[in-house]
Amino acid sequence: MTDSGLAVSALRGPARYLWWLVRCQKPRIALGALVGSAWMAGLTLPPYLLSQAVDNGLQRRDLPALTAWVAVLFAVGGANAGLAILRHRTMTLIRLDAAYRTVRAVVRHATRLGAALPRRAGPGEVVTVGMADAWVLAQALTVTGPGLGAIVAYVIAAVLLFGISPLLAVVVLAGVPVLAAVVGPMLRRLQRAGTSYREQQGVLAERLLDIVGGLRVLNGLGGKELFARRYRAESGRLRREGYRVGAVTSWIQALGVGLPGLFLAVVIWLAARMAAGGLITAGELVAVWGYAAMLAVPVAFFIEGGFDIGHALVAGRRVVAFLRLRPDPQGAAPAPPGAAELWDPESGVVVPPGLLTALATARASDASAVVDRLGGYGPTTAMWGDERIDTLAVRDRIAVADNESYLFAGALGSVVAGRHEPREAAVERVLAGAAAGDIVAGLPGGATGLIDDQGRNLSGGQRQRIRLARALYADPEVLLALDPTSAVDAHTEAAMAEGLRRARAGRTTLVTTTSPALLERADVVHWLVEGRVAATGRHRDLLAAQPGYRALVDRASGLATGS
Amino acid sequence: MIPLPAAGREQVRRAAVDLLCRDRRSVVLMVALNALAATAGLAGPWLLGDIVDAVAAGRATASAVDRAALAILLCTVAQIVLARSALSTGYRFGERTAARVRERFLDRVLGFPAAVAERVPAGDLAVRGTSDVSAVATTLRDALPEVLIAAGQALFVLVAVFFVSPLLGVIGVLCLSGAAVATRWYLRRAPDAYLAEQAAGSALADELTATLTGARTVETLGLAERRLASGRAAIERAYRARRRTLALRTVFFPAVDVSYVVPVVAVLLVGGMLHTRGDMSLGAVAAAALYLRQLAAPLDAILVWLEQLQSSGASFARLEGLATLPLVSPPASARPPGGDQIEVRGARYAYDGGRDVLRGVDLTVRPGERLAVVGPSGAGKSTLGRLLAGVDRPRAGAVTVGGVPIADLPPGLLRRQVVLVTQEHHVFRGTLRDNLILAAEAPDRQLWRALAVVGADWAAELPDGLDTLLGGDGVVLDGACAQQLSLARVVLADPHTLVLDEATALLDPAQARATERALAAVLQERTVIAIAHRLQTAHDADRVAVMDAGRLVELGTHDDLVAAGGTYAALWRTWHGFTRPGGAGDA
Repeated sequence: MTDSGLAVSALRGPARYLWWLVRCQKPRIALGALVGSAWMAGLTLPPYLLSQAVDNGLQRRDLPALTAWVAVLFAVGGANAGLAILRHRTMTLIRLDAAYRTVRAVVRHATRLGAALPRRAGPGEVVTVGMADAWVLAQALTVTGPGLGAIVAYVIAAVLLFGISPLLAVVVLAGVPVLAAVVGPMLRRLQRAGTSYREQQGVLAERLLDIVGGLRVLNGLGGKELFARRYRAESGRLRREGYRVGAVTSWIQALGVGLPGLFLAVVIWLAARMAAGGLITAGELVAVWGYAAMLAVPVAFFIEGGFDIGHALVAGRRVVAFLRLRPDPQGAAPAPPGAAELWDPESGVVVPPGLLTALATARASDASAVVDRLGGYGPTTAMWGDERIDTLAVRDRIAVADNESYLFAGALGSVVAGRHEPREAAVERVLAGAAAGDIVAGLPGGATGLIDDQGRNLSGGQRQRIRLARALYADPEVLLALDPTSAVDAHTEAAMAEGLRRARAGRTTLVTTTSPALLERADVVHWLVEGRVAATGRHRDLLAAQPGYRALVDRASGLATGS
Repeated sequence: MIPLPAAGREQVRRAAVDLLCRDRRSVVLMVALNALAATAGLAGPWLLGDIVDAVAAGRATASAVDRAALAILLCTVAQIVLARSALSTGYRFGERTAARVRERFLDRVLGFPAAVAERVPAGDLAVRGTSDVSAVATTLRDALPEVLIAAGQALFVLVAVFFVSPLLGVIGVLCLSGAAVATRWYLRRAPDAYLAEQAAGSALADELTATLTGARTVETLGLAERRLASGRAAIERAYRARRRTLALRTVFFPAVDVSYVVPVVAVLLVGGMLHTRGDMSLGAVAAAALYLRQLAAPLDAILVWLEQLQSSGASFARLEGLATLPLVSPPASARPPGGDQIEVRGARYAYDGGRDVLRGVDLTVRPGERLAVVGPSGAGKSTLGRLLAGVDRPRAGAVTVGGVPIADLPPGLLRRQVVLVTQEHHVFRGTLRDNLILAAEAPDRQLWRALAVVGADWAAELPDGLDTLLGGDGVVLDGACAQQLSLARVVLADPHTLVLDEATALLDPAQARATERALAAVLQERTVIAIAHRLQTAHDADRVAVMDAGRLVELGTHDDLVAAGGTYAALWRTWHGFTRPGGAGDA
């Protein structure tokens, strides 16, 4: 067993995964099978009781006997209703258990994959695994209950039919599986016919999302007609595809109901001739009709069950493939204790311990490449002291704060506190440090006010300050912050620069920035050109000695020379 | 934010009836074919009743049985063919209607005036446009035909019982009232419970999506335990919501199951008494009992779909809810603006009845000038931009162009007059060309020129040039590239006035500066109003408007304002980075 309770063997394939979902809830599955069988068996009784009521009560004009048989019929009907709901409840709980078990496994695995996840799988794809596929798998477990019951019901009907006439029994019992064999492949065809329809439906949904997402653009610049026309054309294509599917589906469904009906008609013909010949009674004739009709239920379950399992194996393949994705290999060696400098040989960037280092470059991608290497995300040759970063366990000690980092929904205080319990004073301190006091004031409820998923109820600048506050709260040994003031106005930028410096006093910090406010507060500034350090020093010294650096960061002189 | 409403019961009913009426012929045909199929289906038990009678009376001959049985066989074949036609008609009806529903939804979304479009929650709109549309479509395609068929069958079974014996028919119907009571009970409670189930399901999906999309952040900040805990909580809530609907079914299903048995039992007892007295044939009683037993199948079919009908009914209400949005459509002023001069007089604005974010702004924007708007966060810069672009109209005062309120301009005219570009960008799924020529066709040469103006050098490196697919499976542009694309669109649209709200914020500082200059060169005759936190924009502008706390506090050229030593001068010094402001700002 792995730590999530997910058996290793469950990941060997979709069938093994399904089996794991079954094994996880053995008692409930057993109950489901028992109740399902009892219910299905119970379905065979009413035709029998009805025939007895006709033969022994009605035909003999014996009212007390009729009343007695009818009373039993009613009681059995009630009992069957009870069994039916017990079965439904048990099977529903089995499905819920299985579905949520898969969702939990997917969430857990996603958190384990971490930064590797976006590189290995598209988010949309994984959400499908977590939601749709989990339920498809769960649906297949339904077969464990009535599936077994269907076999039991089949056997009981067989015994009762043999009591009436061996010939009829053979015809009915052989005929039903033949029917299933005919109807089954038809249903698979139904499935295939629907595939391209669903794909087209997905395309259309994407198109709609696209339009909703770009509504502002369409409002501002026009083009609504173009997009509406295109959507209509695709909607029309889906409609025609639907007609095509419907033409096939309607035959399959009509035959699905009709073929058993035809079979029933043949059985009745045979039974009626036997009745006419005096071989069976009128009541038995009614009963044969009833049994043959009743057998449609277990047969339908067989077909549906096969269908569900087919789907589940496909969904299971996706789930297993996701759960098998491996996280990035990470070093296990303890990071160097105490003060050690970080060094990225590829760029020549050195981050001395306990100081605020700034990295100025014209190309944002160069800066983030340096940070990824120093933080140990992806391939890296960076060193921490005398050890290579990729051999060390650095996650708890080096934190990267970038402007794409995800803001999860929650109260402002707990969003800022991240993995920790929010302490009011500390939250207030880091919010002040990130110049984010106005956000608290503007949010209904202050620090307990809710932030939407991805900070949708905040402006770009507010989100940026919350991200910085969160990084400050985590208070990592080493903080690598990417352009933390890119989306704020000049006053706020200065306040953030000051707050960052104060909050990280004596701690190792690297910021990438071209903001003079941040640069002049840095202890060391690296000027990066074409991904390599071109000069290192204090901001003022670089300004004086390096014209290129001045052009990059000195906003006034850049303007003067440019215009 | 304007919360999206759901339609009320009466409105949903009207909309549903309207959809049925639009396809009246199909609906009538579907019902008629179903009726015929059901009639054919009923012949079986009917003829069986005859056979039973004949056998019981001892007068059943082989040839009579053969005739009856052959008739049963033929009726079954007829039933298959008729049922197929009915289903096919139903599917076509469902497809057509589903297309109608989704196209109408799109029309409504596209019909939002800018002020509404900017402020409806995009997530909710997306959910409605995808899951709700597909839930309604599924119901129309699968559930509705089957429910209609089942209802037809049930009706015919009852008619057949009446045909055999009106008395037994009455008894059968009366005894079914139990099912009706149970159904009423269920339908009163189910909608809320299923809505809650859906909501909890969506919340779980959101939770899952957040964890999966934010997986990198989960690792960088060590949030795994937090995310697992909040995932567990969402699962727990979804589970409880599902238990609640299960509880409702636990009452409903057995009640209905038992009520199917009651008519059979009653008919047997009453029929038995009549038969004992010689008032009714054995066959009639048996046929009535068998018919009533047959009632269970179609009623069950309806029952199975009830849940689906319930939930898609809720979805339909959410789709129709868009129709109830208060749409402030502009009183399309036929009068074209008399000139390009923009006047802002005493403009006040508040979001959703909150406090004023603009508190009386007066400003004249000269045609062809370059105006920069600066000021701290929350000063009302973006709001002013939205008023200038006609997205919103002022609560008090006026914002006019050439003497006509900007927000009153009809969309086509407004678009030629003024375009707002914000930091939020969108790349449509489609080719680069599609993304550029939203409104009007333009030759490729012009598209390339627009891309060059905004410095979108990456476009030249795309594999298929202008035909390269963007978004989704195609090339995914990063924020900076997408922002350049937005600007290229504007160059092509070539409006009289351009409002840029942090429209270059995602570009590198050097890139942003170059792009803004190139843009200015191209838009020489045009008015450009730029809202920016990078003050080089202000430096480059003809005039600078400084906003603070909803008011315009300074207005003049860069040099004049720096010399005046006011708010702008302080801002400039801070931005410039040579003085320590000592924690000033909006903290």
